[in-house]
Amino acid sequence: MRSCGMPEHEPVDLELLVQSVVDYAIFMLDPGGRIASWNTGAERIKGYQADEVIGRHFSVFYPPEDVAAGKPEWELATAVADGRLEDEGWRVRRDGTRFWANVVITALHDSEGRLRGFGKVTRDMTERRVNEWSMRESEDRFRLLVQSVVDYAIFMLDPGGRIASWNTGAERIKGYQADEVIGRHFSVFYPPEDVAAGKPEWELATAVADGRLEDEGWRVRRDGTRFWANVVITALHDSEGRLRGFGKVTRDMTERRTVERALDERGQLLAHLVRAQEMERRRIAWDVHDDTIQSMVAVGMRLQLLATRMPGEHADAMLRLNETVNASIGRLRNLTFRLHPPGVDSGGLVEGLSSYLDQVVAGAGLTYSLTHDLTAEPPTETAITVFRICQEALTNVRKHARASVVTVSLVSVDQGVHVRVGDDGVGFDQPPESLARHDHFGLIEMRQRAEVAGGWWSLHSRPGAGATVEFWVPAVPREAP
Amino acid sequence: MSERPERLTVLIGDDEPLIREVLSEVLAAEPDLDVVATACDADEAIRLAVRHTPTVAILDVRMPGGGAWAAREIRRLSPTTRVMAFSAYGDSRSVDEMRRVGVQEYLLKGMPNTDIVAAVRRVARV
Repeated sequence: MRSCGMPEHEPVDLELLVQSVVDYAIFMLDPGGRIASWNTGAERIKGYQADEVIGRHFSVFYPPEDVAAGKPEWELATAVADGRLEDEGWRVRRDGTRFWANVVITALHDSEGRLRGFGKVTRDMTERRVNEWSMRESEDRFRLLVQSVVDYAIFMLDPGGRIASWNTGAERIKGYQADEVIGRHFSVFYPPEDVAAGKPEWELATAVADGRLEDEGWRVRRDGTRFWANVVITALHDSEGRLRGFGKVTRDMTERRTVERALDERGQLLAHLVRAQEMERRRIAWDVHDDTIQSMVAVGMRLQLLATRMPGEHADAMLRLNETVNASIGRLRNLTFRLHPPGVDSGGLVEGLSSYLDQVVAGAGLTYSLTHDLTAEPPTETAITVFRICQEALTNVRKHARASVVTVSLVSVDQGVHVRVGDDGVGFDQPPESLARHDHFGLIEMRQRAEVAGGWWSLHSRPGAGATVEFWVPAVPREAP
Repeated sequence: MSERPERLTVLIGDDEPLIREVLSEVLAAEPDLDVVATACDADEAIRLAVRHTPTVAILDVRMPGGGAWAAREIRRLSPTTRVMAFSAYGDSRSVDEMRRVGVQEYLLKGMPNTDIVAAVRRVARV
């Protein structure tokens, strides 16, 4: 049987090919839309045998609502007008079930331009469509999953490092709401010294070069406190290899790190060293005080006594010598005071600080407030570290800040003690990051003490607006041995 | 013979021999002061104070046995004796402790000799 409208010279094997194709329904319509040929694929896809369907109008394949809307006729008219028409939509099988069809209708004209009919190629896309749907659905589910994860901050950055998405975990860990943070550069999460060192940019560049980057380090929460983060940054490329942005997954490891470090050998050693250093300082202070200073006091008194018994010029020399001795005594007193300040031996951290503040700060014409919310007395080495950093911070306030009020607060946070020492003085006229690097040994010492203890330290200041030293050190009680 | 001013007797309690010696000499050089005894710990200071009932006892705060203990006992056993602390420590805890046991004057070591002498006379008049 030759199909109506097929050119006479068409090779027979082409017809064979069309007939045997199973993946596509390939058939002809006459100019009125009646089915004129049928192939194996059409049989398979639509469920009709050739003799059941040839001669019927092709609208039999359309859902009733499409037929009512005149879609079959409209498609033929469009094919005539444009030469061809492509459509995707539901079609109806012989058994009434539907399949998602990709349909191409081509208008066929003879050599004189008369419409001879239509070629129709239909493909069953149902399976692919279902796959696409389930993929879309799984994307939705995945998005929901990411949104609701609370243990990890999972979010996207655009290629420039600006935050493009946010999840519940990010909100919880970093303290920002989505609308506060989307569009901002992700360096907002890094400590100022890391930003100054260019770390955020370096991490993105490394992620681009190596595909991904993993890092552990301090990151900053919205309220300025820090957490120890495990961070993975993955570079995201599209199918053409263009950088589309970054995926960033951050986990708060503070507690785990704190406990691990406190209990491992290094933590024990560190605690021991802090206590040993303190005992050493106390011993040196007492030795200087009870021996060296006493002897020098006796020497000074003796020189004064001798001066009363010497003739004029010798007396003057004696008195000058006495002044030298007195000045040395003053310096030694300052040394012992720094080595072993009053209060450091007190029963508790708060009591010790309060006693120190009474003497040092109040003595310098400052008023102070000390607030605390500690769940327990920290271990000795923690108390020493906190006291010593406060001592240094208060010394700075007293010597340089020209402040009238200093506030000290201690709070138990993240298995540690979070401390703020703030003043209302002149502030620093340089950015704190540069101060801590150069000639300010006091600042360096404070930072080192906090960091060696496994904590962090930072200084906030603006010229004329005071300064705040803020730090956190772990306070993990050890089991009795 | 002109009328001599009433002489003030002084006891010194300090465990540092250099201080004891020079303080004795400084005070003895004054026409109105007599150093009647020196002690190197709290017990000795108390015993000598009872024996001599000095006008003024100058006590080191950190001497063995404790300056505060010595001061309390001297005030109890020799009520006419005034007590003056002579200390290398000027912290408030030490000062408060001595004040509580009846010390009238708290002098930091390292003050000029003239201040020490003036303080002794001041305490004696209280």
